[in-house]
Amino acid sequence: MVSESVRISFSKTGRLKYISHLDLCRTMQTAMIRAKIPLRYTEGFNPHPKMIFTQPLPLFAESECELLDIRLTEDMPHEEICARLRKEFADGLYINKVYEPLSKFGEISYALYKITGFESARERELEELLSGEIAVKKKTKDGKEKVIDIRPLVRSLERREDALEALLGAAPDSYLNPDTLCRSMCERGLGKGAYGILRIGWYRGDMSPFE
Amino acid sequence: MLTDNILRNVMKPGRYTGGEFGQTVKDKTKINARFAFCFPDTYEIGMSNLGMRLLYHALNQMPDTWCERVFAPWPDMEEQMRSNSLPLYALESGDPVKDFDFMGITLQYELCYTNVLNMLELAGIPLLAKDRGEDFPIVVGGGPCTYNAEPLCDFFDVFSIGEGEEALCEMVRLYIEMKSSGSYTKAGYLRELSHIEGFYVPSLYRVEYNPDGTVESYAPLYPDVPGKIRKRIIKDLDAAPFPDTFVMPYIETVHDRITEEVYRGCIRGCRFCQAGMIYRPVREKSPDRVNEQVRCLYEHTGYDEVSLLSLSISDYSRLSHLTEKLLEWTDREKVSLSLPSLRADTFSKELMDRISSVRQSGLTFAPEAGTQRLRDAINKNISEEEILRACSLAFAGGKSNVKLYFMLGLPTETKEDLDGIRDTAMRVAEEFYRTPGRKGRAPQVTISCACFIPKPFTAFQWDAQDSLESLSEKQRYLAEIISDKRLKFNYHDAYASRVEAALARGDRRLGRVLLECRRLGMRFDAWDEFFRYEDWIKAFSAAGMDMGFYANRAFSTEETLPWDIIDIGVTKRFLLSEYNRSRESKPTPNCRESCSGCGANRLGGVTAWCPKASE
Repeated sequence: MVSESVRISFSKTGRLKYISHLDLCRTMQTAMIRAKIPLRYTEGFNPHPKMIFTQPLPLFAESECELLDIRLTEDMPHEEICARLRKEFADGLYINKVYEPLSKFGEISYALYKITGFESARERELEELLSGEIAVKKKTKDGKEKVIDIRPLVRSLERREDALEALLGAAPDSYLNPDTLCRSMCERGLGKGAYGILRIGWYRGDMSPFE
Repeated sequence: MLTDNILRNVMKPGRYTGGEFGQTVKDKTKINARFAFCFPDTYEIGMSNLGMRLLYHALNQMPDTWCERVFAPWPDMEEQMRSNSLPLYALESGDPVKDFDFMGITLQYELCYTNVLNMLELAGIPLLAKDRGEDFPIVVGGGPCTYNAEPLCDFFDVFSIGEGEEALCEMVRLYIEMKSSGSYTKAGYLRELSHIEGFYVPSLYRVEYNPDGTVESYAPLYPDVPGKIRKRIIKDLDAAPFPDTFVMPYIETVHDRITEEVYRGCIRGCRFCQAGMIYRPVREKSPDRVNEQVRCLYEHTGYDEVSLLSLSISDYSRLSHLTEKLLEWTDREKVSLSLPSLRADTFSKELMDRISSVRQSGLTFAPEAGTQRLRDAINKNISEEEILRACSLAFAGGKSNVKLYFMLGLPTETKEDLDGIRDTAMRVAEEFYRTPGRKGRAPQVTISCACFIPKPFTAFQWDAQDSLESLSEKQRYLAEIISDKRLKFNYHDAYASRVEAALARGDRRLGRVLLECRRLGMRFDAWDEFFRYEDWIKAFSAAGMDMGFYANRAFSTEETLPWDIIDIGVTKRFLLSEYNRSRESKPTPNCRESCSGCGANRLGGVTAWCPKASE
């Protein structure tokens, strides 16, 4: 049996930012069936299509670089997969391209985000933020609250034109939810709470772009 | 305007944003009528409703009409809407409902009436029909509750009685015609509409009451207004308009799958069941048509789960032919089939094998009553042997969970019938150990008891509902005698059932109660977490009405019933004879065995099991 892996890069923007990752998975699955993509299913009692996503986006965040790996049971040209899938989405989901994956998601170390809503934050305040611990409260699995320092997960945070660019940990064991950073910045008075997050790229540990 | 800030402050913002794949968007400048289809419950429930899917499609098939969806906002969203002055809007365009030509509200259950009034208020539309001028939308009601919508008469301009696929289109077409010819006035339009079969314009009737509070008479105000409104049916389901795709919800809904209707109506005549009467006569789709529609929906939606919908799926005359056809391709495509609404007497090994190929952990049967005598009285023509045989098949097929539905407070019920509930469940549990080839450890038999609610257009429409004290006592008694570990006992809230009974058999004077409910800020009464019985008591007493008069009074078979103005095809004479037979515990054969002359054949219809019906 052929088992070609295919990587799909897509954007999730606009009203799709109100849709959770779990809901996105279901939306993807029905779209794949409609588009008649020859998806490989898992074996077992309750077969479901094999779909592997990169780190989920938090609710209210957008992205122009989401990645999804699927496996096929028979060949289908990448352009055709792309063209077929594009027809199956409403505004907010867009297939950027479909290609053969050359590396695994495990190589990803960082995600790059464009963050708006902190225009009034001064350079000095940002420097101050990065100069020490960034303590945030986190709920553990057993419901207790614990304080952790997210500073090590912030590789960089810089002003670029009218927005901030943040490079944050995105490996499974060092993932930082961008929303956690934004909320912490708001608590420090750097913003007023109405912020926007857009994921714009993935990077390896050596800062080479991952796609 | 709907802003990011509002959506950040509510749970499940995806309920309010629209824009799903499959929604209909039209160019407003080319539209002559805009229809806001309102479902007075959450997005997740409304989006699961097949009727809404059918009517959304039927209306949008008209090129100059645009139908959009509206759901009841959850209280967190309601709060945001009120504090941000955001009026109720339709999901497709985001436009306020107030600006539409029609506000169509589907009435699925009585306890959502408080949501209906809340939605009118949130839309900025005066609650009372008489206070609404020419500029407000026509407020039209449809759905099962319109068979007695008297408590809602003050708030609606018109009700569409019966199946709406054709009727709603005729209603909109008349509107467009009158508007374009310049002859439109709201009053003139409603009067004209009353001449079309299936439309009930409540303001065109005067109701008189007797000194004892019962209805004396309904009289049309004008000679051209019909004295009775006959429900509409679709005669040939194979030819009925059918949506080839659904709006695909992003967020998970209650029935997030393909639901395919197999037939309408029911050959059974359970005497407590309203659906069994109001949807007569039985009309089936052909297996080929069902198969073709399911296939089409699979390709256009991408859902990998199909549920076959009907009042009793095993009564479909060509079920094995149908499942054969479906399984030819569903297995290969990894599409799972589910068959809800199984009857124990027609449940076969063959059927079991077919549905065990899909994911389903347990089975549910509805004996409804604990003894044969009471089952005969309610005309649930099913024997204990049949129940045990069906459960045995389920056990042999690898299931170990069975759920049994019963009703408490049925007319003629005695203590023996309550004991019978436990005994039936015990024998089901014992059957498990006698089943060869059974798997698993111990069986789990869940007894689920609802409270009997007398409903209009049933043989039991005249019967009193059991008092709260009596129902609670019966629930306590059952909880006490059901002590075996293999049995689990659940029961429904008797308080909500009482309110439901009062509204179901209510007359126009209950409109005052609903207004009081709105003043008290009531909504989402179909939800346990919001239903507050004390509030209903307050609303009834503020309106000077007595809940017991409607819920707990035995109506006389002589009195004029508030719903006598509606003609469902089935005659009052038939219902009365069924009532009388029930007192003698005499069953009545189903439509397949022989015709009992219910009267529904007068409506016509292409049908397999009503031999007297003709086109």
